[in-house]
Amino acid sequence: MLDLKGIDYENVFVRYDIRMESKEKPETIAAKMLPKDAVLKKVAEDIVYMKHKDVVESVKVALKTMGPVDVIDKGLVKGMDIVGELYGRGIYYLPHIMLAAKAMENGVKECEKKMTTAHVTKGTAVMHVAEGDPHDIGKNIAATLLKSNGYSVVDMGRDVPVADVVAKVAEVKPCIVTGTALMTTTMSAFPKIAERLLEQGIELPFVCAGGAVNRVFVESYPLGVYADKAMQGAKLAEKAVDGWDYKKIRAHWDALMAGKE
Amino acid sequence: MAIKRFTKMEYKNADEMVFGDAKYPISYGFGQKIGAGHVVPEINFAPRPEAAKNPETLTREYVDYITKDIMERAVTIGLPAVQLENEHVWQMVNEPKKFEKPVIIGQTAMIEKYHDEYGIATSIRHTIADPRLCEFGMREGQDKTHNYPEKVIEAAEIAAENGASLLSIESMGGKEMSDYGIMNGDIRAWLFGIGYLGALDMEWLWPQLVDICKKNKVVAGGDTNCAGANTSMFMAGGYLDKDVARTFAAVTRCIASTRTLIALECGATGPDKDCGYEGPILKAISGRPSAQEGKNCTCAHNDLMGNLTAQVCDLWSNESVEYHPEFGGSSVQCWLGSIGAEAMLMNAAKQMKQDKVLRDLYMATDRYRSPEAFCIAYDNAYTIGETIVEYGKDRYLRAKMAGLKAAELIQASAEKGAMKLSKQEKDTLNVIIRDLTACPDDEDKFVALCLKEYKNVPGFNPKNYGL
Repeated sequence: MLDLKGIDYENVFVRYDIRMESKEKPETIAAKMLPKDAVLKKVAEDIVYMKHKDVVESVKVALKTMGPVDVIDKGLVKGMDIVGELYGRGIYYLPHIMLAAKAMENGVKECEKKMTTAHVTKGTAVMHVAEGDPHDIGKNIAATLLKSNGYSVVDMGRDVPVADVVAKVAEVKPCIVTGTALMTTTMSAFPKIAERLLEQGIELPFVCAGGAVNRVFVESYPLGVYADKAMQGAKLAEKAVDGWDYKKIRAHWDALMAGKE
Repeated sequence: MAIKRFTKMEYKNADEMVFGDAKYPISYGFGQKIGAGHVVPEINFAPRPEAAKNPETLTREYVDYITKDIMERAVTIGLPAVQLENEHVWQMVNEPKKFEKPVIIGQTAMIEKYHDEYGIATSIRHTIADPRLCEFGMREGQDKTHNYPEKVIEAAEIAAENGASLLSIESMGGKEMSDYGIMNGDIRAWLFGIGYLGALDMEWLWPQLVDICKKNKVVAGGDTNCAGANTSMFMAGGYLDKDVARTFAAVTRCIASTRTLIALECGATGPDKDCGYEGPILKAISGRPSAQEGKNCTCAHNDLMGNLTAQVCDLWSNESVEYHPEFGGSSVQCWLGSIGAEAMLMNAAKQMKQDKVLRDLYMATDRYRSPEAFCIAYDNAYTIGETIVEYGKDRYLRAKMAGLKAAELIQASAEKGAMKLSKQEKDTLNVIIRDLTACPDDEDKFVALCLKEYKNVPGFNPKNYGL
């Protein structure tokens, strides 16, 4: 092997990830954002530090003095907000989010036991992977993130025929429907779904994503809204709940993705 | 069919390995020789979304447009040899007689015609799609809805009977568990998914594929852990990506090599699949030719080792590109030009006896760009291979030890200041070493532990793996 000692790697490539690494600790950032109330603070901390077992006990304690909706909104959701902040700063990675979301789910379940009516979610997303496509990790991550952001998810799984997706959307009446595909030939199901939804008079944003999928393709058929990353799902769902149709979301897509709207 | 485990290295040392030469070269197709003193470009492609509307449109796309374009350009730029790879779309495995057969017949006739007319060496690898779904059943008789396990075998038979030069697959066994491992940063789940469940699936699938190949005198190429290790790699991404730590991806790659190796242990002869970045480890162990991809596959994805992966390749690929027009011709023509030029450089280096110098330049360029590149740098790939053959007879333990060896190599280099790691990479590496070390060495104990721990992972059904 050639002697590699003479190589100054600074002249070959730059580790921008190390150069730009945040020096702040999660605890420092969390401290600035945690609720002041000690009981709610503990609930939020259990989310931030991914204590999916401890959170159940913390929620039980909180429910002794406040209602379940407050525990969710002022404790659990606050914790997820901090997790999102840490992810945005590159301090937390995907596994942190998944584990925090699991803690969130456990906490919400405990709160729901105290509710007389079902917990009202922000909206419902029908999710699927295109027919013929077995690649579903992106859909699974997006589903977890939507749930932890307060949305209900009807997960239809993978390799789902066009007719089944259309029937489910007609039945559930969600705020968005999502489709993911890794391959060029499976993503061709998306325009067919859009066409059949419109034939039935159903108009809603159809969020499409995946390896082979691109914005030009998705915007070539009605209803299509492109998503580049799983994290963008909640933002797009939020706009759909606010009454934005697919045309308005498309028109504001760049600003939405840049976090400017 | 007996599975012959590798318990010794076919190469005497790492320095013996170089691109364009394999211990066991192989001939197939129309005058094609792989690993026999030169590197051959392997061009891969995907049809446009609407091309799979019916068998006629799909055949036209693959044969009259894609294959013809490739062969025209190969002759135009003077390539001595070219290999095509058709990674089958879902329609070709779902209805193989209708969609797959005419494509295979048409493509074979086209490459034979150019071989006859110009003398160019040609061949085509058919990579069977694997749409099996763990929630429905992964083995014969289990999926009553789609019959995918049976269809995979039928598609392989039709490919072998109708003109494939080489047969491969990107099999999916263990993916439900490896996806869970990636999402939750759980290396033990990943080891269980690919090092064990994936291995069991390979041992079910590959003897059948090898039998089909033997019956039809077709070369059984090999597999790739695209479904597992490439998912880690893509999600780990580059320096702005912050989903999966690159140390996690590096270790999963080395665990994956023990699973991909099983195709060769079942009788496949290589060349293995281009997107199996574990290829250098497989080549070090088996001496079989390897297809690789890197800087000339940026049409398909980004990575941090585009030069390094050329170091010991025998076929040099573009991974895949959708068929569409570019300024320089159709996309397949442009990317054939790109991989063809690189192969020519490698072959000129071989003629000038400078191939080991070029190999080292490729390797040195990317060696420290990411922990994964570091692990598959040919010297480290060889070291990991030695660990695998040391525990060669134990399908689980060799996977665990390959992962641990990779983690230790990265850590040792980081301690010397050579391999730079971010905080997230360091923290993840420490957790990986802790968790892998804690896994029992005994397969039965490990499996019992995992069956209990991961029984609720969505889609996981032990029956899919004969458990």
